[in-house]
Amino acid sequence: MTQVYLPRTLTELWTYLDGEPEALIYTGGTDLLVKMPAENANTAPALICLERLGELRCIRETADSILIGSTTTHAELLRHPLILAQLPVLAQALQTLGSPLIRNMGTIGGNICTASPAGDTLPPLYILEAEVELHSRKAVRILPIREFISGPGKTQLQKGEILSGVAVKKPADYNIHHFEKVGQRKSMACAVASMAALLRLSPSGLIEAARLALGSVGPTVVTATAIDESLIGKKLSLTSLAATAERIRQLVAPIDDVRASADYRRTVSGNLLLRLLDARTQ
Amino acid sequence: MNAYIPEIGKPVPRADAVAKATGAEKYAVDHYGDNIVWAGVRRAGVAHGRIRHLDTSVASLLPGVIAVLTGRDVPGTNRQGIIHKDQPVLADEKVRHCGDAVALVVAEDRATLQKALSLIRVEIDPLPGVFTVDDALRPDAPLVHEDHPQGNVLLKATIHSGDGQVALEGCDIILEETFHVPVQSHAFIETENGVAWQERGGKVALVVSTQAPFRDKWEISHALGLPLDRLHIIGPYLGGAFGGKDGATVQCLLVLAALHTGGRRVKMWWNREESFIAGYKRHAVRMHYHLGARTDGTLQALHCRLYYDTGAYAHLGGEVMALGMEHAGGPYRIPHTLIEGWCVYTNNPIAGAMRGFGVAQVSFAFEGMMDLLAVKLGMDPLELRLKNALLRGDRNASGVTLTQSTGIADCLTAVQHHSLWHERKAWKKEAPPFHKRGVGIAAVFNAMGYGRGLPDSALAKVELTPEGRIRVYSGVSDMGQGNTTAFVQIAGQILCQDHTAIELIQPDTERTLPSGSASAGRTTYTYGNALIKACEELRRRLTGRAALMLLSDTLDDLELLPGRVKNLATGREIPLTALAAMMSPEDRVCISQFLMPVVRDKLDTGKEFVIGFPHLLFSYAAHLVCIEVDELTGVIDIKAYLAATEAGRVLNPQAFEQQVQGAIAQGIGYALSEEVLLQEGRIVNPDFATYIIPGALDIPEIVSLAVETYEPSGPYGMKGVGEVGMNGPLPSIAGALADASGIHMTRSPLTAERVLAALQNQQEHP
Repeated sequence: MTQVYLPRTLTELWTYLDGEPEALIYTGGTDLLVKMPAENANTAPALICLERLGELRCIRETADSILIGSTTTHAELLRHPLILAQLPVLAQALQTLGSPLIRNMGTIGGNICTASPAGDTLPPLYILEAEVELHSRKAVRILPIREFISGPGKTQLQKGEILSGVAVKKPADYNIHHFEKVGQRKSMACAVASMAALLRLSPSGLIEAARLALGSVGPTVVTATAIDESLIGKKLSLTSLAATAERIRQLVAPIDDVRASADYRRTVSGNLLLRLLDARTQ
Repeated sequence: MNAYIPEIGKPVPRADAVAKATGAEKYAVDHYGDNIVWAGVRRAGVAHGRIRHLDTSVASLLPGVIAVLTGRDVPGTNRQGIIHKDQPVLADEKVRHCGDAVALVVAEDRATLQKALSLIRVEIDPLPGVFTVDDALRPDAPLVHEDHPQGNVLLKATIHSGDGQVALEGCDIILEETFHVPVQSHAFIETENGVAWQERGGKVALVVSTQAPFRDKWEISHALGLPLDRLHIIGPYLGGAFGGKDGATVQCLLVLAALHTGGRRVKMWWNREESFIAGYKRHAVRMHYHLGARTDGTLQALHCRLYYDTGAYAHLGGEVMALGMEHAGGPYRIPHTLIEGWCVYTNNPIAGAMRGFGVAQVSFAFEGMMDLLAVKLGMDPLELRLKNALLRGDRNASGVTLTQSTGIADCLTAVQHHSLWHERKAWKKEAPPFHKRGVGIAAVFNAMGYGRGLPDSALAKVELTPEGRIRVYSGVSDMGQGNTTAFVQIAGQILCQDHTAIELIQPDTERTLPSGSASAGRTTYTYGNALIKACEELRRRLTGRAALMLLSDTLDDLELLPGRVKNLATGREIPLTALAAMMSPEDRVCISQFLMPVVRDKLDTGKEFVIGFPHLLFSYAAHLVCIEVDELTGVIDIKAYLAATEAGRVLNPQAFEQQVQGAIAQGIGYALSEEVLLQEGRIVNPDFATYIIPGALDIPEIVSLAVETYEPSGPYGMKGVGEVGMNGPLPSIAGALADASGIHMTRSPLTAERVLAALQNQQEHP
């Protein structure tokens, strides 16, 4: 039988990890356990489940940032006033993630560590300039999320290290938060393409600042400073957005898979930008 | 809940609701037993090939392995199949699709089973495969079944009426189009499973998730060479089936396994992936249509050619095609038809029965043609349908005279009078930015019962128990559709007993009587008719025997009441417990048979169909759907849905609506997202992460209107309602898309990707 460890403190966790260095670490298990067919469960290495590790389950605020413990569930985030008030772009993405059941189990740390190009929290985290905190028995290090995730399913997580939290800067300068996901159904859907956007619109309707991130159209979330900058100084109009949409289509590098063709993803990743015409300022 | 008498016409709660909600009801999959062992199958993994070498020796030696069996170990014919016996239980020299069973392993536990399955060495010399109907029909095509006299054509058939295709020449307008529908999976919750064991006397008992326990017995007997009296099949409530458990899945394998376990119980339970790979599917079909009409919209002539891909084995392929062909003209008066069908073997997964049996496919085509005709003529699509709608007394597209209830015109009228229809123009104008709105309708129908050539019979049995309760012995499975609740209502109505005093026995070949399969919308109709006769006989007996105890010289004063028989004139009563004690066991049981009536027309067509053509009874529905199409993504969002359904009288409004809603939900999946994707016969999406069934958010509020007629041959005037709702969503949604965008899609499902490509194409080539 596979051993499952349930540490309640970081100290316990390090002890278990010393004993089972090959152990797989998870919290909600909504990705890991699904990939582990029941028939092969017995041959899996040991599992360490962090769901009872209270130290990592938190949402805190500092003057200019919000810190989220890695084992905080999506449902907890969606209920939290800080997230709803300050990070609408993340809240919008969380609302599209899985189903209520998945959101009760899955965690933000898990969504980051799975590092799927389709991870729903990732485009918002990229434009919120998230930094992840990595803990091992001896050290703590901090990496920008775009450096932490290096490819589909690939991260900089080392042996003996866990992702303990993620910190985002408060996006006070932005008055438009927008996230949209295209999936094959309305819930329990893996993103075929997604877009997160933060815009600052002047009272006269000019774009003063912009950050865009696109999911499911490359090995990792796609962002580009040049694209963001191309919007600055423009009116929020069909013409300006259509021009940028075309640049997005040239930038992204989607694949064909069982869910959609690369062509479709490419077209839609540009089209999603046009939705900003309807986006309301907050 | 207080006791009530379950009566006809009331929204009586499901008889199984409490037991299922509390987890007390046992599905087949909940059956285990002490000292149980596990059986599993090694599958071919190759779509077409010859087995060169099959070495089970290493697997056999693994500790904990009880038996490893191959085609050589199968006694009997080693052939299963409902009508055509062409499917080996375990492959002999050839494999014909990836899911073919090559070896059967029985082991002490699941881990050992998996290990042993992996240790079997199978070497298969691949043969060229046929994966499309066109490939299969080439003169030099590799043969799926070398011994089949018609090569890869399982069945070629023709339905002809009036002057046939010649009449097209005289039509003012002739429209031509080709439609494609993909393979659909039943996606039931409870995957194929069962538990079997050999009893001391040599008899083998099998608890199995099945729609046809009595037919299973014959099928197992034929395949394994076991006499019928050595088989005992128990069929509990099913966790969904939709046609996918009509015909052997685990049955023959499990009984074979049980012959090698020394009396220990053996369980087999396919996981989801195995269910996809080895289970049955809805046929993919290509449909070529020519429809001829007058300029006033009167339909004149139809010619169609339908190509059904039936996969590696016959299952019910020919019968599915027969029903599709019978419905190919829609619920319309078309005096001249030629409907040709080819049901073709390929090396794809096995296609068979599924809700809307061949009809869900052609509904897309005939309603697509009606929408095209409406556009061509500039006619209101609903008026066009009403103008041509079949009426009682008309001859349908097969030339059958409709002598029974025929309510399609009433259904269309109900939709026409609904606010969703007459307020549609205003609603469409309110489309949000980057969206288009459209409203589509579909008129659909679905035959009931087996049709000519196969007696559609049920044997009902009802008993007054020694405890004074009523026990109904149902011989026809309840897979969730709720027929057993109707049986309780029938017993309650006639025998006037509280719901707590009525018991149900689920199908069991030793306790209940052969009543056919749970299929074809026939369960409540056929068994219900038999049960009415049995309950009426029991009622006569109970009052008759009570007369003796109550010293009544006439039966006129006696009334059967909850728990007792009362003489209304004298006020004297006798409890049913006392009555039961007086009656002999055989006197307390009533059995009655019902045989569904059939078409009387002497048709000079459809002669290739041995069974299953033509049908006497149809249920009808008109559907309306309001959709929003996202021009940026191609996503279709269903905003509202209306179904007007005619299935005779409604015995239970709640159960009726549940069938309508469930069928529409499944139909929405078929319309928008469900598609088994195949590459050289291999399923590339055998799981629910990639085979996309709708979730709760994808299903809109559904308004269900019951358009009641009275079907004189039905129990209390009813007809089956389980299937017809499946046929409407695809054509109505396609119609709504055409209404919104002018794009007539001819290939389903209507995925966002396909819709966006069509929208772009329209922009580029207006």
